[in-house]
Amino acid sequence: MNYQNKEGWFYVMPLLFWLALSICIPLYIAIELSFFDIKIIGTEGKFVGFKNYIKIFNSTNFFKALSNSALWVLANAITQTFFAFLIALTLNKNFKGVKIATNWIILSFIIPTVVIVVIWKLMLSSSSGIVNSLLIQIQIIDKPIGFFSSSTGAFLSLVLINSWRWSPFLALIILSGLKSINQEIYDASKLDGASFFSEFFYITLPQLKGILFVLGLVGTLLSFNVFDIIWLITKGGPSSATTTLPLLIYETAFTKFRLSQAAALSVITSCILLTFSIIFIKVMGKEDEAD
Amino acid sequence: MKQIKKYFLLYSSLGIIFIIFFFPFFWIITSAFKIPQEIIQRHSTIIPRSFTLEHFHKILFSSDFLIYLKNSLIVSFSSMIIAVILSMLAAYGLHKLKFYGNKYVERSLLITYAFPGVILLIPMYLMLGKIGLLNSYFALILINVTFSTPFAVWMLKAFFKTIPSEIEEAAAIDGASRITILFQIIFPLALPGIASVSIFCFIISWTEYMFASIMINSNDLKTLPVGLASIVGQYQIDWGFLLAGATLASLPVIILFLFVGKYFVSGLTDGAIK
Repeated sequence: MNYQNKEGWFYVMPLLFWLALSICIPLYIAIELSFFDIKIIGTEGKFVGFKNYIKIFNSTNFFKALSNSALWVLANAITQTFFAFLIALTLNKNFKGVKIATNWIILSFIIPTVVIVVIWKLMLSSSSGIVNSLLIQIQIIDKPIGFFSSSTGAFLSLVLINSWRWSPFLALIILSGLKSINQEIYDASKLDGASFFSEFFYITLPQLKGILFVLGLVGTLLSFNVFDIIWLITKGGPSSATTTLPLLIYETAFTKFRLSQAAALSVITSCILLTFSIIFIKVMGKEDEAD
Repeated sequence: MKQIKKYFLLYSSLGIIFIIFFFPFFWIITSAFKIPQEIIQRHSTIIPRSFTLEHFHKILFSSDFLIYLKNSLIVSFSSMIIAVILSMLAAYGLHKLKFYGNKYVERSLLITYAFPGVILLIPMYLMLGKIGLLNSYFALILINVTFSTPFAVWMLKAFFKTIPSEIEEAAAIDGASRITILFQIIFPLALPGIASVSIFCFIISWTEYMFASIMINSNDLKTLPVGLASIVGQYQIDWGFLLAGATLASLPVIILFLFVGKYFVSGLTDGAIK
């Protein structure tokens, strides 16, 4: 049936209006702010042109945070892909209790991030955490490890904690893709004597292309944006080892009170992410077009 | 032999998944019932040796927990309702009514996630400050809806796809208006989808911390994550108190999930992304 083309806009309008209010206007304010010299919220400042931007490109903090962010996204992508596929492939099998397991695997995603912080702060605590206690009991280590006290340790622990939160959610989306793959393709490959790995790489992965495209894009952006888990556990430390760009922006604005500089950082970060998204859609989305 | 190998693989991966993704919950919840000495002792116990309700008593009756709980419930339910209505309309518009520019709208919705919350945090603070809406539920609802709708639209669109268009056409021939079709045919048929999107929006709002920590400064309006986080930040952590708080803060979403969780999960695994 044919409706007027314009009718669709009426349905989309309310949402677009809401998003314009909460994204476009703030973005405009941020860009404006970045050309002024305002330090504390509510004070006036003078126009300084690109000075904030020049300052950022001359500071080591920015590049350190940028490389931390890149590492963070990469490390999360690797661990989350591993765990998400482990979970999805397991839940795609038939065993007793698979329904309950599928429903509740997502528990780590539905609880508040603050609760995740509480869980892992105690689990990994060097004085009373169960991880250290078990590792000592099975004699892998003889002294408790301070998971958050070294730079690498803190970084890796945070990657694992963040992956713990997101992997089950990603797994369910992958599982939806697995379920839509025609079983006959597998049966045929079984007859041909395909191994688990060749099956995975030549059938499963190509069939999941559409889903992996969206997950690759949204997942990268979501990992990049992680703030609360890092902030609440390490506050970006030790010695800025876990300060990613979102933390640097937050710190600059709300603990160092350099509002304009934080706004300039935000604008730069938005540009980086937008460029990434556009390239990703252009390069990876080619086949998606046919849909 | 092959059969044994298959089962070995299945059960060992199940074991790993269980230990990593479920055991922490067991340990944290049981620890909330342990006496303080047992929680902080060096050799952690897996099976609890003591039992006490003192932490729960303390958090319910001598802290502001119930105020935070009330705030979280108000913010999350309002955000959920607004987000679901907006995304239902948008998803329907995008799915059924092909209009000029709809592909762009769809793409730009996903790109919304390209803007980290922290980028919006500063200007949003200034904007809401100017119109006097800082320190209000609305400040949090505004942002929660923004961050939950793009994904909600994406999920709902997939649900609408599963509804045969013949049903709609038949109703249109019978003279039903668009509004009647929407509310009496499409939305009821998409109910599982709406349930799963609702829970998604609720979770996003329930777990939000960053905006709530900056936008709200009066204690009477703080949400649960902010309230709990202020205890986490203390130098001497009262673990029992904190664990009881964490358990109680997770309870509402777990209860909600108990009832509509299967829609959410099947929404993600059966209908959605195809």
